[in-house]
Amino acid sequence: MSEIWVEKYRPRRVADVIGNKKSVEAFVKWMKQWELGKPPEKKAALLYGPAGVGKTSLVLAYGREHGYDVVEVNASDWRNEARMRWVVGESSLQATLDGSSRKIILVDEVDGIAGKEDAGGIAALRKIIDETRVPLVLVANNPWDPRLAPIRERCLMLEFRRLRKSEVLRRLREIARQEGIRVSDAVLEKIAENSEGDLRSAINDFQAITGGRKVVDEKVLEVLGSRNRVKQIFDALRIIFNAKSIRAARAALEGLEIDLDMVYAWILDNAPAQIPDPGDLADALEALAKADVFLARANRKQEWRLIKYAVPVMTGGVAVARRHKPAGFVKFSFPSRIRLLQSTGRERELRRNIAQKIASKLHLSTAKALTHMLPYVSFILENDGGMGKGLAEYFELTPAEVNYLAGGKIEKEKVKAAAPARRARRRRRS
Amino acid sequence: MEEVSRLPWVEKYRPKSLDEIIDQEEVVASLRNILKTKAVPHMLFAGPPGVGKTATAHAFARDLFGDRYIDDGHFLEINASDERGIQTIREKVKMFARQIPMGGYGFKILFLDESDQLTDDAQHAFRRVMEQFSTTCRFILAANYSNRIIEPIQSRCAVFRFRPLVKADVMKFLKRIADGEGLEVDDQALEVIYDFSEGDMRKAINILQASASISKKIDEKTVYRVMGYVSRGEIRKILELALSGKFSEARDEVRRLLYVQGILPSDIISAIYRELFYLDLSEEDKLELLDLLGEIDYRISEGATPEVQLMAFLARIAAKGRR
Repeated sequence: MSEIWVEKYRPRRVADVIGNKKSVEAFVKWMKQWELGKPPEKKAALLYGPAGVGKTSLVLAYGREHGYDVVEVNASDWRNEARMRWVVGESSLQATLDGSSRKIILVDEVDGIAGKEDAGGIAALRKIIDETRVPLVLVANNPWDPRLAPIRERCLMLEFRRLRKSEVLRRLREIARQEGIRVSDAVLEKIAENSEGDLRSAINDFQAITGGRKVVDEKVLEVLGSRNRVKQIFDALRIIFNAKSIRAARAALEGLEIDLDMVYAWILDNAPAQIPDPGDLADALEALAKADVFLARANRKQEWRLIKYAVPVMTGGVAVARRHKPAGFVKFSFPSRIRLLQSTGRERELRRNIAQKIASKLHLSTAKALTHMLPYVSFILENDGGMGKGLAEYFELTPAEVNYLAGGKIEKEKVKAAAPARRARRRRRS
Repeated sequence: MEEVSRLPWVEKYRPKSLDEIIDQEEVVASLRNILKTKAVPHMLFAGPPGVGKTATAHAFARDLFGDRYIDDGHFLEINASDERGIQTIREKVKMFARQIPMGGYGFKILFLDESDQLTDDAQHAFRRVMEQFSTTCRFILAANYSNRIIEPIQSRCAVFRFRPLVKADVMKFLKRIADGEGLEVDDQALEVIYDFSEGDMRKAINILQASASISKKIDEKTVYRVMGYVSRGEIRKILELALSGKFSEARDEVRRLLYVQGILPSDIISAIYRELFYLDLSEEDKLELLDLLGEIDYRISEGATPEVQLMAFLARIAAKGRR
């Protein structure tokens, strides 16, 4: 049950945001104008630059420090103008339910709406910028797509650059201190260097390398160095998926300095792309499911010798099942499950908190409350103000929690918006 | 009154004494005997969810110790699903059991809900705790599956089997609530609620309350609207995605249910089971998929990873579907 460090160590105050001082200052100045009740001439700010350099973190930190609800919408979730107007348009004009809190609307991955699937998305966003009464912050990796030109004109452009190695290093040291991990500077320096200024990936790497240990010795440098983790796992995957014998597939794991669980996750999540034939894929996943059973038995009965069956089945079983290969080379990708957990961390935390409150009142476990109560409470909150209010009081839910349950269109600082999906679902049914 | 009107109905209509427990006549009769003699054994309540195990444990304690059974420290509830670590349980149990029983009862009651969530190791440790404190503390364990409770614990307990609730009784109880809340519910709607609830009273009451949030007049359609929102639609969508060969999308949806929404794997499997018969597949294929579903259900109950097992199942559907 380890926490994801990227979330745990997100900056809480603007002062904690690392690097890019000029853009940070400019952003604060821009927000100050909103705060003084004199909206700046440019009502939207476009924060752009490579991944993992603190763009979103800055906005969240500012919100937290100055008491703003940050309403987060992920642009790649949008499909068209209607939806976009619905999500962003409505919250940019309305006050929050309790009336007291202030809002920042954060539109992530703006470059993602430039594609043709989101026809009208850009025009709608342009209009929303013109009409908004609350600060609108856009985030993009690459804002230079010609189709984004009308957006760029309306935005305060703030560039975020790769962080300096020393800046990344400083943060890693701080995390090591707080986690009580003994690790040499050489190791941290190597991680910082490999990250190429992407603090998020550096923190992820650091967490992966420590793997829960409190002492990390310099041996990991071998893994980090020429044969870094990612390359190592890529090599192993290539052998596994192409092995001609179970023995060869199994051998791919020898000398690998990566947890068996992690290797398993890589194989599982790369299987669909590597195995184009549905029948082959079903056989491969059945092999993985069997390996999972062996691992579970070993764990449950504490019979570690049973693990030895899991390894050939999860590697060789997949190789044997792969009778047809993809037409061209398909590259391996980071396990999508881990990415999902990272990107939904805040929503999961919010749901867990709500479930805990409900559980404590109803003689239930948190898990049962999540499944057996939350959907009903959510439904009631959406439909009957009176009954919903009663329940919210009884369970002692905060306004932000109520908002989330009542449809999720306005969410507090800590939540990632799942709003578009939820809304769409409801519309289909009504 | 204010307080009562805010109560969720599952709480408001929770049975307060053994007299109010629905069905479970044999269990209640035995417990009454125990109350009479005051010779309380360790007990294991086994049965499906929502049939009154937790309510019975509380009702029994209330009938035994009086209304202040919790406040006066006679009764402690621990949910094993939230506190899997045996260390926490041990400490909590010790803290509770060590204090001398008050009020001349000679013992206290510790109620361990969802005890089948404990690992084998934790169960063995718990068994020793049971022995150590059995003079001053009686244990009531509740579990969905008694076969997941290790033999040494079972043999120290009087086992009470709770039956699934009878349709007529669930409907009668729902009618009572409807009267109390000023609702008009037709019989068809009650039938549908029962079908969805699968004899789980908590679920039945929740469906009724959610229905009442749309309208005071509740018919079949109202109930379908609630259930459409609550879950059925998502599982259907996932199966359709898999059938049309969009395995990765189906996988992502399942993960969302499991990890973001926190839906219990057993609930996902039950919903798949319900939908399976209606899929656009040959009967042979359905049979094969049923076989696999039964298999992964069992594997999960034995500790396998729900996500992985569900993936394997979805991949099999994708292989059967239109290519």
